[in-house]
Amino acid sequence: MTRIGFRLALAYRSNIIMTCVTLVAQVFLLRMIWTSVYGSRPTAAGLTLDALLAYLTLANLQAFATHTVVARTIHDRIRTGTVFFDLARPVGYLRQMAAFQVGNTGGGLLLIAPVIPVVLLVGSITEPVNAAGYVITLLLGYVIALQLALLISLVGFWTMETGAISLLYRLVSQFFAGTMVPLAFFPGLLGVVAEILPFKYMGYVPAAIYVGHISDLSGPVLVEIAWIAGLSGLLALTWSRARRRVVIQGG
Amino acid sequence: MIRVEGLTKVFRRPRTFSGPFGALRTLVTRRHEEKTAVDDVSFEVDEGEVIGYLGPNGAGKSTTIKILTGILTPTSGTVEVNGLVPWRERSANARNVGVVFGQRSQLWWDLPLIESLRLVGSLYDVPAARFETSLKKLRDLLGLGEFLDTPVRQLSLGQRMRGDLAAAVLYEPPLLYLDEPTVGLDVLAKEAVREFIMETNSAGRTTVILTTHDLADVEALCKRIILIDHGKVLFDGAIDALVDQPRRLVVLLESAPEEVRGVTRDAEGRHVFDIREDLPGMIASIAAEHTIRDLSIEEPDLESVIKRIYAR
Repeated sequence: MTRIGFRLALAYRSNIIMTCVTLVAQVFLLRMIWTSVYGSRPTAAGLTLDALLAYLTLANLQAFATHTVVARTIHDRIRTGTVFFDLARPVGYLRQMAAFQVGNTGGGLLLIAPVIPVVLLVGSITEPVNAAGYVITLLLGYVIALQLALLISLVGFWTMETGAISLLYRLVSQFFAGTMVPLAFFPGLLGVVAEILPFKYMGYVPAAIYVGHISDLSGPVLVEIAWIAGLSGLLALTWSRARRRVVIQGG
Repeated sequence: MIRVEGLTKVFRRPRTFSGPFGALRTLVTRRHEEKTAVDDVSFEVDEGEVIGYLGPNGAGKSTTIKILTGILTPTSGTVEVNGLVPWRERSANARNVGVVFGQRSQLWWDLPLIESLRLVGSLYDVPAARFETSLKKLRDLLGLGEFLDTPVRQLSLGQRMRGDLAAAVLYEPPLLYLDEPTVGLDVLAKEAVREFIMETNSAGRTTVILTTHDLADVEALCKRIILIDHGKVLFDGAIDALVDQPRRLVVLLESAPEEVRGVTRDAEGRHVFDIREDLPGMIASIAAEHTIRDLSIEEPDLESVIKRIYAR
Protein backbone atom coordinates (compact mmCIF):
# COMPACT_ATOMS: atom_id res chain seq x y z
CA MET A 1 0.00 0.00 0.00
CA THR A 2 2.93 2.31 0.74
CA ARG A 3 4.20 1.58 -2.76
CA ILE A 4 0.80 2.37 -4.28
CA GLY A 5 0.71 5.72 -2.46
CA PHE A 6 4.22 6.50 -3.64
CA ARG A 7 3.49 5.56 -7.25
CA LEU A 8 0.27 7.57 -7.24
CA ALA A 9 2.13 10.67 -6.03
CA LEU A 10 4.45 10.28 -9.00
CA ALA A 11 1.55 9.53 -11.35
CA TYR A 12 -0.04 12.88 -10.53
CA ARG A 13 3.18 14.82 -10.86
CA SER A 14 1.57 17.74 -12.70
CA ASN A 15 -0.43 18.30 -9.51
CA ILE A 16 2.72 18.44 -7.47
CA ILE A 17 4.42 20.82 -9.91
CA MET A 18 1.51 23.23 -9.44
CA THR A 19 1.84 22.73 -5.70
CA CYS A 20 5.52 23.69 -5.93
CA VAL A 21 4.68 26.86 -7.85
CA THR A 22 2.09 27.76 -5.20
CA LEU A 23 4.61 27.06 -2.46
CA VAL A 24 7.27 29.32 -3.98
CA ALA A 25 4.73 32.09 -4.59
CA GLN A 26 3.35 31.86 -1.06
CA VAL A 27 6.77 31.99 0.57
CA PHE A 28 7.72 34.95 -1.63
CA LEU A 29 4.55 36.88 -0.73
CA LEU A 30 4.95 36.17 2.98
CA ARG A 31 8.51 37.43 2.82
CA MET A 32 7.43 40.69 1.15
CA ILE A 33 4.62 41.30 3.65
CA TRP A 34 6.57 40.49 6.80
CA THR A 35 9.63 42.48 5.72
CA SER A 36 7.39 45.52 5.26
CA VAL A 37 5.60 44.87 8.59
CA TYR A 38 8.88 44.76 10.48
CA GLY A 39 10.11 47.98 8.84
CA SER A 40 13.07 49.12 10.90
CA ARG A 41 12.11 47.26 14.09
CA PRO A 42 14.80 44.75 15.10
CA THR A 43 12.53 42.21 16.81
CA ALA A 44 8.86 41.48 17.45
CA ALA A 45 7.55 38.99 20.05
CA GLY A 46 11.13 37.87 20.60
CA LEU A 47 11.79 37.03 16.94
CA THR A 48 14.26 38.81 14.70
CA LEU A 49 13.23 39.33 11.08
CA ASP A 50 15.79 36.75 9.91
CA ALA A 51 14.50 34.16 12.36
CA LEU A 52 10.91 34.96 11.41
CA LEU A 53 11.58 34.58 7.68
CA ALA A 54 13.43 31.30 8.25
CA TYR A 55 10.52 30.20 10.41
CA LEU A 56 7.92 31.04 7.75
CA THR A 57 9.91 29.36 4.98
CA LEU A 58 10.24 26.19 7.01
CA ALA A 59 6.66 26.17 8.26
CA ASN A 60 5.33 26.44 4.71
CA LEU A 61 7.67 23.77 3.40
CA GLN A 62 6.47 21.52 6.21
CA ALA A 63 2.81 22.28 5.59
CA PHE A 64 3.14 21.33 1.94
CA ALA A 65 5.22 18.25 2.63
CA THR A 66 2.88 16.93 5.31
CA HIS A 67 -0.30 17.74 3.42
CA THR A 68 -2.38 14.54 3.39
CA VAL A 69 -4.50 13.20 0.54
CA VAL A 70 -5.80 10.15 2.36
CA ALA A 71 -9.15 11.77 3.25
CA ARG A 72 -9.90 12.41 -0.41
CA THR A 73 -8.81 8.93 -1.42
CA ILE A 74 -11.01 7.35 1.24
CA HIS A 75 -13.93 9.58 0.28
CA ASP A 76 -13.61 8.60 -3.40
CA ARG A 77 -13.43 4.94 -2.52
CA ILE A 78 -16.52 5.12 -0.30
CA ARG A 79 -18.43 7.00 -2.99
CA THR A 80 -17.58 4.54 -5.77
CA GLY A 81 -17.96 1.45 -3.60
CA THR A 82 -14.36 0.31 -4.14
CA VAL A 83 -13.96 0.56 -0.36
CA PHE A 84 -15.41 -2.96 -0.49
CA PHE A 85 -12.05 -4.30 -1.63
CA ASP A 86 -10.12 -2.46 1.10
CA LEU A 87 -12.46 -3.95 3.70
CA ALA A 88 -12.15 -7.44 2.22
CA ARG A 89 -8.36 -7.51 2.69
CA PRO A 90 -6.72 -9.52 5.46
CA VAL A 91 -4.88 -6.35 6.57
CA GLY A 92 -6.72 -3.81 8.74
CA TYR A 93 -8.32 -0.87 6.99
CA LEU A 94 -6.63 1.94 8.93
CA ARG A 95 -3.24 0.30 8.54
CA GLN A 96 -3.70 0.15 4.77
CA MET A 97 -4.76 3.78 4.57
CA ALA A 98 -1.93 4.97 6.82
CA ALA A 99 0.59 3.06 4.68
CA PHE A 100 -0.93 4.62 1.59
CA GLN A 101 -0.51 8.13 3.00
CA VAL A 102 3.08 7.54 4.12
CA GLY A 103 3.99 6.34 0.62
CA ASN A 104 2.21 9.30 -0.89
CA THR A 105 4.09 11.72 1.35
CA GLY A 106 7.34 10.02 0.32
CA GLY A 107 6.51 10.44 -3.36
CA GLY A 108 5.52 14.05 -2.77
CA LEU A 109 8.81 14.78 -0.96
CA LEU A 110 10.78 13.29 -3.84
CA LEU A 111 9.06 15.68 -6.23
CA ILE A 112 9.29 18.68 -3.93
CA ALA A 113 13.01 18.07 -3.23
CA PRO A 114 14.35 19.88 -6.33
CA VAL A 115 12.27 22.95 -5.45
CA ILE A 116 13.56 23.23 -1.88
CA PRO A 117 16.66 25.29 -2.84
CA VAL A 118 14.42 27.68 -4.77
CA VAL A 119 12.09 28.04 -1.78
CA LEU A 120 15.04 28.68 0.53
CA LEU A 121 16.36 31.29 -1.88
CA VAL A 122 13.01 33.04 -2.28
CA GLY A 123 12.40 32.84 1.45
CA SER A 124 15.26 32.82 3.86
CA ILE A 125 17.00 30.25 6.00
CA THR A 126 19.40 30.24 8.91
CA GLU A 127 21.56 27.51 10.43
CA PRO A 128 19.46 25.14 12.57
CA VAL A 129 19.78 25.87 16.26
CA ASN A 130 18.57 22.37 17.17
CA ALA A 131 18.49 20.05 14.13
CA ALA A 132 17.79 16.81 16.01
CA GLY A 133 14.95 18.40 17.97
CA TYR A 134 13.53 19.72 14.73
CA VAL A 135 13.47 16.29 13.07
CA ILE A 136 12.00 14.54 16.13
CA THR A 137 9.17 17.02 16.70
CA LEU A 138 8.42 17.18 12.97
CA LEU A 139 8.17 13.38 12.65
CA LEU A 140 5.88 13.16 15.67
CA GLY A 141 3.89 16.07 14.24
CA TYR A 142 3.50 14.13 11.01
CA VAL A 143 2.06 11.17 12.90
CA ILE A 144 -0.49 13.52 14.50
CA ALA A 145 -1.37 14.99 11.07
CA LEU A 146 -1.86 11.49 9.70
CA GLN A 147 -4.10 10.42 12.59
CA LEU A 148 -6.23 13.55 12.32
CA ALA A 149 -6.61 13.03 8.56
CA LEU A 150 -7.76 9.44 9.14
CA LEU A 151 -10.20 10.60 11.80
CA ILE A 152 -11.69 13.17 9.40
CA SER A 153 -11.93 10.49 6.69
CA LEU A 154 -13.91 8.17 8.92
CA VAL A 155 -16.69 10.77 9.06
CA GLY A 156 -17.35 9.67 5.47
CA PHE A 157 -18.67 6.35 6.74
CA TRP A 158 -21.56 8.28 8.31
CA THR A 159 -22.11 11.15 5.91
CA MET A 160 -20.88 9.65 2.58
CA GLU A 161 -19.53 13.14 1.93
CA THR A 162 -16.36 14.67 3.34
CA GLY A 163 -15.42 17.31 0.74
CA ALA A 164 -16.55 20.33 2.75
CA ILE A 165 -15.24 18.96 6.04
CA SER A 166 -11.84 18.29 4.46
CA LEU A 167 -11.64 21.82 3.08
CA LEU A 168 -12.60 23.34 6.42
CA TYR A 169 -10.11 21.06 8.14
CA ARG A 170 -7.31 22.13 5.81
CA LEU A 171 -8.00 25.82 6.39
CA VAL A 172 -8.26 25.52 10.17
CA SER A 173 -5.24 23.22 10.49
CA GLN A 174 -3.00 25.44 8.33
CA PHE A 175 -4.03 28.58 10.17
CA PHE A 176 -3.52 27.08 13.62
CA ALA A 177 -0.29 25.43 12.49
CA GLY A 178 1.00 28.98 12.08
CA THR A 179 1.99 28.90 8.44
CA MET A 180 0.90 32.50 7.80
CA VAL A 181 1.52 34.06 11.20
CA PRO A 182 3.66 32.49 13.93
CA LEU A 183 1.70 31.42 16.97
CA ALA A 184 3.74 33.80 19.13
CA PHE A 185 1.86 36.69 17.45
CA PHE A 186 -1.64 35.31 18.13
CA PRO A 187 -3.51 37.62 20.50
CA GLY A 188 -5.27 36.62 23.76
CA LEU A 189 -7.90 33.92 23.42
CA LEU A 190 -6.82 32.99 19.90
CA GLY A 191 -3.35 32.33 21.23
CA VAL A 192 -4.74 30.12 23.98
CA VAL A 193 -6.83 28.12 21.50
CA ALA A 194 -3.86 27.71 19.14
CA GLU A 195 -1.72 26.59 22.08
CA ILE A 196 -4.23 23.88 23.01
CA LEU A 197 -4.93 22.55 19.51
CA PRO A 198 -2.56 19.93 18.09
CA PHE A 199 -2.10 21.67 14.74
CA LYS A 200 0.90 23.64 15.97
CA TYR A 201 2.97 20.45 15.95
CA MET A 202 2.72 20.28 12.17
CA GLY A 203 4.11 23.78 11.64
CA TYR A 204 4.94 26.14 14.45
CA VAL A 205 6.62 23.90 17.02
CA PRO A 206 9.23 22.17 14.82
CA ALA A 207 10.02 25.39 12.94
CA ALA A 208 10.31 27.36 16.19
CA ILE A 209 12.70 24.74 17.52
CA TYR A 210 14.75 25.01 14.34
CA VAL A 211 15.20 28.77 14.68
CA GLY A 212 15.78 28.51 18.43
CA HIS A 213 12.57 30.27 19.49
CA ILE A 214 11.67 27.20 21.55
CA SER A 215 14.65 25.73 23.38
CA ASP A 216 13.12 23.22 25.79
CA LEU A 217 12.38 20.00 23.88
CA SER A 218 10.95 17.74 26.58
CA GLY A 219 7.64 19.61 26.93
CA PRO A 220 6.59 19.55 23.26
CA VAL A 221 7.78 15.95 22.72
CA LEU A 222 5.81 14.69 25.73
CA VAL A 223 2.66 16.51 24.66
CA GLU A 224 3.07 15.17 21.12
CA ILE A 225 3.35 11.61 22.41
CA ALA A 226 0.27 12.17 24.57
CA TRP A 227 -1.65 13.43 21.53
CA ILE A 228 -0.58 10.40 19.50
CA ALA A 229 -1.68 8.03 22.27
CA GLY A 230 -5.01 9.83 22.70
CA LEU A 231 -5.70 9.97 18.96
CA SER A 232 -4.82 6.26 18.60
CA GLY A 233 -7.50 5.42 21.14
CA LEU A 234 -10.02 7.74 19.54
CA LEU A 235 -9.26 6.33 16.07
CA ALA A 236 -9.70 2.74 17.25
CA LEU A 237 -12.99 3.63 18.92
CA THR A 238 -14.31 5.59 15.92
CA TRP A 239 -13.28 2.85 13.51
CA SER A 240 -15.00 0.12 15.51
CA ARG A 241 -18.20 2.18 15.34
CA ALA A 242 -17.69 3.16 11.68
CA ARG A 243 -17.26 -0.39 10.53
CA ARG A 244 -20.66 -1.30 11.92
CA ARG A 245 -22.06 1.51 9.79
CA VAL A 246 -20.55 0.13 6.62
CA VAL A 247 -22.95 0.51 3.79
CA ILE A 248 -21.44 -0.19 0.45
CA GLN A 249 -22.81 2.01 -2.26
CA GLY A 250 -24.66 0.10 -4.96
CA GLY A 251 -24.70 -3.61 -5.75
CA MET B 1 -17.09 -25.55 2.14
CA ILE B 2 -19.92 -23.13 2.90
CA ARG B 3 -22.75 -23.64 5.36
CA VAL B 4 -25.41 -21.00 5.69
CA GLU B 5 -28.32 -21.48 8.07
CA GLY B 6 -31.25 -19.18 8.74
CA LEU B 7 -29.27 -16.17 7.51
CA THR B 8 -31.13 -12.89 7.94
CA LYS B 9 -29.92 -9.34 7.41
CA VAL B 10 -32.08 -6.38 8.28
CA PHE B 11 -30.85 -2.93 7.33
CA ARG B 12 -31.90 -0.05 9.51
CA ARG B 13 -31.69 3.40 8.01
CA PRO B 14 -33.11 6.75 9.04
CA ARG B 15 -36.43 7.61 7.46
CA THR B 16 -35.98 10.08 4.65
CA PHE B 17 -38.27 13.11 4.50
CA SER B 18 -39.09 15.15 1.44
CA GLY B 19 -40.28 18.74 1.18
CA PRO B 20 -38.75 21.87 2.71
CA PHE B 21 -36.16 21.10 5.41
CA GLY B 22 -36.56 17.43 4.40
CA ALA B 23 -32.81 16.86 4.42
CA LEU B 24 -32.51 18.43 7.87
CA ARG B 25 -35.34 16.32 9.26
CA THR B 26 -33.72 13.23 7.77
CA LEU B 27 -30.51 14.11 9.57
CA VAL B 28 -32.08 14.50 13.02
CA THR B 29 -34.87 11.94 12.85
CA ARG B 30 -35.07 9.12 15.32
CA ARG B 31 -37.49 7.20 13.17
CA HIS B 32 -35.97 4.39 11.17
CA GLU B 33 -37.07 2.22 8.31
CA GLU B 34 -36.23 -1.43 8.29
CA LYS B 35 -35.55 -3.39 5.17
CA THR B 36 -34.96 -7.12 5.18
CA ALA B 37 -32.38 -7.76 2.48
CA VAL B 38 -31.83 -11.43 3.27
CA ASP B 39 -34.61 -13.40 4.91
CA ASP B 40 -33.93 -16.79 6.52
CA VAL B 41 -31.63 -18.09 3.79
CA SER B 42 -30.07 -21.55 4.15
CA PHE B 43 -27.85 -23.47 1.77
CA GLU B 44 -24.71 -25.57 1.62
CA VAL B 45 -21.96 -25.62 -0.95
CA ASP B 46 -19.45 -28.45 -1.30
CA GLU B 47 -15.81 -28.07 -2.17
CA GLY B 48 -15.21 -27.79 -5.91
CA GLU B 49 -18.79 -26.88 -6.81
CA VAL B 50 -19.68 -24.05 -9.19
CA ILE B 51 -22.96 -22.56 -7.97
CA GLY B 52 -25.09 -20.09 -9.86
CA TYR B 53 -26.45 -17.67 -7.25
CA LEU B 54 -29.21 -15.95 -9.16
CA GLY B 55 -31.92 -13.42 -8.58
CA PRO B 56 -33.25 -10.14 -9.95
CA ASN B 57 -31.64 -6.83 -9.02
CA GLY B 58 -32.04 -6.11 -5.31
CA ALA B 59 -32.86 -9.72 -4.47
CA GLY B 60 -30.20 -9.92 -1.75
CA LYS B 61 -27.37 -11.56 -3.69
CA SER B 62 -24.71 -8.94 -2.96
CA THR B 63 -25.71 -8.72 0.69
CA THR B 64 -25.16 -12.47 1.00
CA ILE B 65 -21.74 -12.15 -0.65
CA LYS B 66 -20.78 -9.28 1.68
CA ILE B 67 -21.71 -11.42 4.68
CA LEU B 68 -19.71 -14.36 3.31
CA THR B 69 -16.64 -12.11 2.91
CA GLY B 70 -17.02 -10.90 6.50
CA ILE B 71 -17.69 -7.25 5.66
CA LEU B 72 -21.25 -7.29 6.96
CA THR B 73 -22.44 -8.88 10.17
CA PRO B 74 -25.79 -10.63 9.80
CA THR B 75 -28.77 -9.82 12.00
CA SER B 76 -29.23 -13.51 12.76
CA GLY B 77 -28.31 -16.96 11.50
CA THR B 78 -25.10 -18.94 11.30
CA VAL B 79 -22.50 -19.00 8.55
CA GLU B 80 -19.38 -21.07 8.19
CA VAL B 81 -16.95 -20.66 5.32
CA ASN B 82 -14.16 -23.22 5.19
CA GLY B 83 -14.60 -23.74 8.93
CA LEU B 84 -14.51 -20.02 9.81
CA VAL B 85 -17.17 -17.54 10.84
CA PRO B 86 -16.45 -14.78 8.30
CA TRP B 87 -17.18 -11.68 10.40
CA ARG B 88 -15.48 -13.02 13.55
CA GLU B 89 -12.35 -14.36 11.86
CA ARG B 90 -12.41 -11.74 9.12
CA SER B 91 -8.70 -11.65 8.39
CA ALA B 92 -8.25 -15.42 8.14
CA ASN B 93 -11.44 -15.67 6.07
CA ALA B 94 -10.18 -12.96 3.70
CA ARG B 95 -7.23 -15.13 2.73
CA ASN B 96 -9.63 -17.91 1.72
CA VAL B 97 -11.70 -15.91 -0.71
CA GLY B 98 -11.18 -14.04 -3.94
CA VAL B 99 -13.76 -11.57 -5.21
CA VAL B 100 -14.52 -10.13 -8.63
CA PHE B 101 -17.19 -7.50 -9.18
CA GLY B 102 -17.92 -6.91 -12.84
CA GLN B 103 -19.33 -3.48 -12.05
CA ARG B 104 -16.35 -2.19 -10.11
CA SER B 105 -12.67 -2.92 -10.06
CA GLN B 106 -10.13 -3.56 -7.35
CA LEU B 107 -7.37 -2.34 -9.69
CA TRP B 108 -5.83 1.10 -9.14
CA TRP B 109 -7.10 3.16 -12.01
CA ASP B 110 -4.10 5.41 -12.60
CA LEU B 111 -1.35 2.83 -12.13
CA PRO B 112 -0.07 0.05 -14.39
CA LEU B 113 -1.87 -3.27 -13.84
CA ILE B 114 1.26 -4.89 -12.40
CA GLU B 115 1.21 -2.44 -9.45
CA SER B 116 -2.25 -3.60 -8.35
CA LEU B 117 -1.16 -7.23 -8.64
CA ARG B 118 1.96 -6.49 -6.55
CA LEU B 119 -0.27 -4.84 -3.94
CA VAL B 120 -2.46 -7.96 -3.75
CA GLY B 121 0.69 -10.07 -3.43
CA SER B 122 1.91 -8.02 -0.48
CA LEU B 123 -1.46 -7.66 1.28
CA TYR B 124 -1.98 -11.44 1.17
CA ASP B 125 1.66 -12.23 2.10
CA VAL B 126 2.40 -14.13 -1.10
CA PRO B 127 6.13 -15.02 -1.00
CA ALA B 128 8.12 -13.50 -3.90
CA ALA B 129 8.86 -16.84 -5.56
CA ARG B 130 5.23 -17.97 -5.45
CA PHE B 131 4.12 -14.56 -6.71
CA GLU B 132 6.35 -14.94 -9.77
CA THR B 133 5.09 -18.45 -10.60
CA SER B 134 1.47 -17.38 -10.05
CA LEU B 135 1.97 -14.32 -12.22
CA LYS B 136 3.61 -16.32 -14.98
CA LYS B 137 0.76 -18.82 -14.98
CA LEU B 138 -1.89 -16.10 -15.08
CA ARG B 139 0.02 -14.25 -17.76
CA ASP B 140 -0.24 -17.30 -20.03
CA LEU B 141 -3.78 -18.22 -19.04
CA LEU B 142 -5.26 -14.72 -19.33
CA GLY B 143 -2.85 -13.21 -21.84
CA LEU B 144 -1.87 -10.42 -19.45
CA GLY B 145 1.58 -9.94 -20.96
CA GLU B 146 0.61 -7.28 -23.47
CA PHE B 147 -0.96 -4.90 -20.94
CA LEU B 148 0.74 -5.62 -17.63
CA ASP B 149 2.54 -2.25 -17.76
CA THR B 150 -0.42 -0.23 -19.04
CA PRO B 151 -2.34 2.03 -16.65
CA VAL B 152 -5.65 0.37 -15.86
CA ARG B 153 -7.70 3.35 -17.08
CA GLN B 154 -6.37 2.70 -20.61
CA LEU B 155 -7.43 -0.96 -20.68
CA SER B 156 -10.48 -2.23 -22.54
CA LEU B 157 -13.26 -3.65 -20.40
CA GLY B 158 -12.26 -7.19 -21.36
CA GLN B 159 -8.63 -6.59 -20.42
CA ARG B 160 -9.65 -4.93 -17.15
CA MET B 161 -11.83 -7.92 -16.26
CA ARG B 162 -8.93 -10.27 -16.95
CA GLY B 163 -6.80 -8.11 -14.67
CA ASP B 164 -9.47 -8.30 -11.96
CA LEU B 165 -9.68 -12.09 -12.30
CA ALA B 166 -5.90 -12.30 -11.98
CA ALA B 167 -5.97 -10.15 -8.82
CA ALA B 168 -8.69 -12.36 -7.31
CA VAL B 169 -6.87 -15.67 -7.81
CA LEU B 170 -3.25 -14.53 -7.37
CA TYR B 171 -3.06 -15.87 -3.80
CA GLU B 172 -4.86 -19.07 -4.81
CA PRO B 173 -7.92 -18.79 -2.57
CA PRO B 174 -9.99 -22.00 -2.31
CA LEU B 175 -13.17 -19.96 -2.81
CA LEU B 176 -14.16 -17.42 -5.46
CA TYR B 177 -17.11 -15.02 -5.47
CA LEU B 178 -17.78 -13.74 -8.96
CA ASP B 179 -20.40 -11.04 -9.26
CA GLU B 180 -21.37 -10.51 -12.91
CA PRO B 181 -17.88 -11.24 -14.23
CA THR B 182 -19.04 -11.07 -17.86
CA VAL B 183 -21.16 -7.91 -17.69
CA GLY B 184 -20.67 -5.69 -20.73
CA LEU B 185 -18.18 -8.00 -22.44
CA ASP B 186 -18.28 -9.03 -26.10
CA VAL B 187 -18.87 -12.66 -27.05
CA LEU B 188 -15.20 -13.58 -27.30
CA ALA B 189 -14.25 -11.91 -24.03
CA LYS B 190 -17.17 -13.65 -22.28
CA GLU B 191 -15.95 -16.95 -23.64
CA ALA B 192 -12.43 -16.25 -22.34
CA VAL B 193 -13.75 -15.44 -18.87
CA ARG B 194 -15.86 -18.62 -18.78
CA GLU B 195 -12.93 -20.74 -19.87
CA PHE B 196 -10.78 -19.21 -17.18
CA ILE B 197 -13.39 -19.95 -14.51
CA MET B 198 -13.70 -23.52 -15.73
CA GLU B 199 -9.93 -23.94 -15.74
CA THR B 200 -9.52 -22.48 -12.23
CA ASN B 201 -12.31 -24.68 -10.92
CA SER B 202 -11.04 -27.93 -12.37
CA ALA B 203 -7.31 -27.36 -11.86
CA GLY B 204 -7.36 -26.14 -8.27
CA ARG B 205 -10.68 -27.56 -7.04
CA THR B 206 -11.65 -23.95 -6.45
CA THR B 207 -15.23 -23.51 -5.28
CA VAL B 208 -17.06 -20.81 -7.22
CA ILE B 209 -20.16 -18.80 -6.35
CA LEU B 210 -21.28 -17.06 -9.51
CA THR B 211 -23.79 -14.25 -9.64
CA THR B 212 -24.87 -13.20 -13.08
CA HIS B 213 -27.76 -12.05 -15.23
CA ASP B 214 -26.33 -13.83 -18.26
CA LEU B 215 -27.85 -17.30 -18.17
CA ALA B 216 -25.42 -18.48 -20.83
CA ASP B 217 -22.74 -18.17 -18.10
CA VAL B 218 -24.82 -20.36 -15.85
CA GLU B 219 -25.50 -22.96 -18.52
CA ALA B 220 -21.82 -23.12 -19.40
CA LEU B 221 -20.47 -23.27 -15.85
CA CYS B 222 -22.95 -24.41 -13.23
CA LYS B 223 -24.56 -27.72 -12.47
CA ARG B 224 -26.56 -26.31 -9.62
CA ILE B 225 -28.29 -23.00 -9.03
CA ILE B 226 -29.76 -21.19 -6.07
CA LEU B 227 -32.51 -18.73 -6.98
CA ILE B 228 -33.38 -15.97 -4.57
CA ASP B 229 -35.84 -13.10 -4.67
CA HIS B 230 -36.94 -10.65 -1.97
CA GLY B 231 -34.25 -12.19 0.22
CA LYS B 232 -35.77 -15.69 0.16
CA VAL B 233 -34.55 -18.87 -1.51
CA LEU B 234 -37.01 -19.86 -4.24
CA PHE B 235 -35.13 -22.78 -5.68
CA ASP B 236 -32.01 -24.73 -4.85
CA GLY B 237 -31.05 -27.69 -6.99
CA ALA B 238 -29.64 -29.08 -10.19
CA ILE B 239 -30.27 -27.17 -13.40
CA ASP B 240 -31.11 -30.44 -15.14
CA ALA B 241 -34.03 -31.02 -12.79
CA LEU B 242 -35.25 -27.48 -13.33
CA VAL B 243 -35.11 -27.66 -17.10
CA ASP B 244 -36.42 -31.23 -17.22
CA GLN B 245 -39.87 -30.29 -18.44
CA PRO B 246 -41.87 -31.19 -21.54
CA ARG B 247 -41.42 -29.30 -24.78
CA ARG B 248 -44.28 -26.96 -25.55
CA LEU B 249 -46.42 -26.42 -28.60
CA VAL B 250 -47.40 -22.81 -29.20
CA VAL B 251 -50.21 -22.13 -31.65
CA LEU B 252 -51.89 -18.98 -32.85
CA LEU B 253 -55.41 -19.63 -34.07
CA GLU B 254 -57.38 -17.62 -36.63
CA SER B 255 -60.53 -17.37 -34.49
CA ALA B 256 -58.63 -16.98 -31.17
CA PRO B 257 -61.17 -18.85 -29.01
CA GLU B 258 -61.12 -18.51 -25.23
CA GLU B 259 -60.28 -22.13 -24.58
CA VAL B 260 -58.96 -25.01 -26.64
CA ARG B 261 -58.63 -28.54 -25.20
CA GLY B 262 -58.45 -27.28 -21.62
CA VAL B 263 -55.87 -24.54 -22.36
CA THR B 264 -56.90 -20.89 -22.05
CA ARG B 265 -55.64 -18.18 -24.39
CA ASP B 266 -52.61 -16.29 -23.02
CA ALA B 267 -52.03 -12.51 -23.06
CA GLU B 268 -50.60 -12.60 -26.56
CA GLY B 269 -53.59 -14.53 -27.91
CA ARG B 270 -51.69 -17.79 -28.15
CA HIS B 271 -52.40 -21.24 -26.76
CA VAL B 272 -49.53 -23.12 -25.18
CA PHE B 273 -49.73 -26.93 -24.81
CA ASP B 274 -47.32 -29.25 -23.04
CA ILE B 275 -46.24 -31.91 -25.51
CA ARG B 276 -46.94 -35.21 -23.74
CA GLU B 277 -48.47 -37.29 -26.53
CA ASP B 278 -47.53 -37.72 -30.15
CA LEU B 279 -46.96 -34.31 -31.69
CA PRO B 280 -48.38 -34.84 -35.24
CA GLY B 281 -51.58 -36.23 -33.67
CA MET B 282 -51.87 -33.18 -31.42
CA ILE B 283 -51.45 -30.76 -34.28
CA ALA B 284 -53.87 -32.70 -36.47
CA SER B 285 -56.58 -32.69 -33.83
CA ILE B 286 -56.25 -28.94 -33.26
CA ALA B 287 -56.22 -28.27 -37.01
CA ALA B 288 -59.40 -30.34 -37.39
CA GLU B 289 -61.35 -27.88 -35.24
CA HIS B 290 -59.54 -24.53 -35.86
CA THR B 291 -57.59 -22.70 -38.54
CA ILE B 292 -53.94 -22.49 -37.43
CA ARG B 293 -52.26 -19.21 -38.39
CA ASP B 294 -48.88 -19.89 -36.82
CA LEU B 295 -47.23 -22.67 -34.89
CA SER B 296 -43.93 -23.22 -33.10
CA ILE B 297 -42.32 -25.67 -30.71
CA GLU B 298 -40.48 -24.35 -27.67
CA GLU B 299 -37.63 -26.24 -26.04
CA PRO B 300 -37.60 -25.78 -22.26
CA ASP B 301 -34.82 -23.32 -21.45
CA LEU B 302 -33.44 -21.88 -18.26
CA GLU B 303 -34.58 -18.34 -18.93
CA SER B 304 -38.26 -19.17 -19.35
CA VAL B 305 -38.18 -21.54 -16.39
CA ILE B 306 -36.62 -18.89 -14.16
CA LYS B 307 -39.07 -16.28 -15.36
CA ARG B 308 -41.91 -18.55 -14.35
CA ILE B 309 -40.42 -19.11 -10.90
CA TYR B 310 -40.04 -15.33 -10.30
CA ALA B 311 -43.58 -14.74 -11.49
CA ARG B 312 -45.07 -17.05 -8.86
